[in-house]
Amino acid sequence: MSVEKISGKSKLVKVDDIDTDQIFHQSLLTIHDPQEIKPHIFGNLEGYENFGKENHENKVLVVGKNFGKGSTRQQAVTGFLAHKIKAIIGESFGPIYYSNAVNAGLLLVEAPGILEFLIDDLDTLEIDVSNSIILNIDKRTKIKCNPIPKPALDIMKAGGLLKLGDKM
Amino acid sequence: MKGFTLIEKIIKSHSNELDNEIYPGNIVWINLDLVTARDYAGPQVIDLFQKNYLDALTFDNKKIIFTPDCYPYGNDPKHALDQEKIRVFARKHNIRVTDLGSGIGSHLLFRRGFSKPGDIAFGADSHYNILGALGILGQGAGDVMLAFAMKTGKSWIKIPETVKITLKGEYKWPTTSKDLALYVLKQLHEYGITGQAVEFYGDIISKLNIEDRITLCSLITEASGVIGFIPPDEVTVEYYRKQDIEIEALTADGNANYISELTIDIHDLGLYVACPPHPHNVKPIEEVLGTPINSIIIGSCTNGTAADIREAAKILKNQKINPEVRLGIVPATREDFISAHKENSMTTILDAGGNFFGAGCSTCAKGQYGLTGGETAVTMTTGNRNTQGKIGPADVYLASPIVAASTAIEGKIALPKTRDD
Repeated sequence: MSVEKISGKSKLVKVDDIDTDQIFHQSLLTIHDPQEIKPHIFGNLEGYENFGKENHENKVLVVGKNFGKGSTRQQAVTGFLAHKIKAIIGESFGPIYYSNAVNAGLLLVEAPGILEFLIDDLDTLEIDVSNSIILNIDKRTKIKCNPIPKPALDIMKAGGLLKLGDKM
Repeated sequence: MKGFTLIEKIIKSHSNELDNEIYPGNIVWINLDLVTARDYAGPQVIDLFQKNYLDALTFDNKKIIFTPDCYPYGNDPKHALDQEKIRVFARKHNIRVTDLGSGIGSHLLFRRGFSKPGDIAFGADSHYNILGALGILGQGAGDVMLAFAMKTGKSWIKIPETVKITLKGEYKWPTTSKDLALYVLKQLHEYGITGQAVEFYGDIISKLNIEDRITLCSLITEASGVIGFIPPDEVTVEYYRKQDIEIEALTADGNANYISELTIDIHDLGLYVACPPHPHNVKPIEEVLGTPINSIIIGSCTNGTAADIREAAKILKNQKINPEVRLGIVPATREDFISAHKENSMTTILDAGGNFFGAGCSTCAKGQYGLTGGETAVTMTTGNRNTQGKIGPADVYLASPIVAASTAIEGKIALPKTRDD
């Protein structure tokens, strides 16, 4: 997967402290199939209950602080991959969620200040990974993001952590 | 010479990196001492392992344990099949299973000496970092990481910054380590420790037993922290000595680099309750006294030990719970269950009108007694998460076993009146 420059239409979910139970509820944990996980994403997040059933293909999600805090459940990452979400930009991410996402090939971008950065739904965003910059093409503005650690990029370029395990 | 924090020391001793590669923000590969999974993620981990690595052997079958603890009795066909998948895979690879009724995996790791201070243990449980209470680097991980780890014995970790926290002062009954943990969570959430590790210091620490320490460290996840460490000391050494395991004290270097230092004043700390909709929405109990509660659970990796059940029993001795209330007790492990029985806390609580359920996880995993019924079931649990909609549609409060037992008697959030020693 190419991860140098990523662009897509924005989808705002500017809520802080979104817990994995709000992303994919614990009562559904015996569901493993990505396509079955997909419609349940944000099913327990007030105001976003229909997200899972809508089309968000190729979008870039914009979230707040501590996104993905809570449990270790992989489904909370798998569901966004099933939606073909290109990346999630947030103020910060729960540490377990961050590692689950990298391992499965979902790009997370930490951008402190993103909540104050003017973005409307469906603006075209471009993430310039090599220069650690996020551009809002429609508004002609930009904001710095934290560099993506090289080992995380290597894992994503390899197509996920499991591929690396073949040779180890 | 460069100084290291506890987590940096443990990571260094498990990696092939030189000293100059051990610094916050860097990602390094580490060798794991123990990899576990339970009945939530375990079946998916096994599927990923078999799909990607076919019939390959695990890196070391003696360093893997399956700990089904979420769905104690496989209470619908899907759960039962998931648990069966674990047993079949474990038999094939000769892997240990602590099967149903043994209790919460994270607790078994220290109770049964599977893991010791200075070790690194990864499991499918976001509260594995409670192991920091014993100086073990425990981390929750998702399916992909665990399948990879079972094949290779390795994982990557982003070395976190460490915050040094000094707890100043002391508290006394009815305040307990749960109130301390809730109060500290509130402070740390405001302070901001996302992605950071924490080390706890202060005179109070040497007076906290292992159960208290577990409770304190169990809420770091709720502040989005990586782990809270209590440096292993004489209390820890003695705990392992009783299991015939000799360990050494483990300390951070005197010249370790902390990102920040914070003192939290806990002098004469009161009682605290976490209110909906987040664990960090912690308030002094006085602000919520009288709130009607009708479903109460004493259990979880945060407060489900025999010590917790004992504290509740002291409140419930010769009392009856309110007829509007359902009180469930879920012992953390079989050992806790046996102690509660021997100490007579079990009879006391049954006499008062409480119910006992099999050892294992409680409200945080929905497998048993997790989901309460309907809009009118307002819950109080001694667990660690009250996210809106997690346990049921109605509100959920988090509190200590003492507050939970007092609330069970009154049917509303109440202060403890007396205890029977």
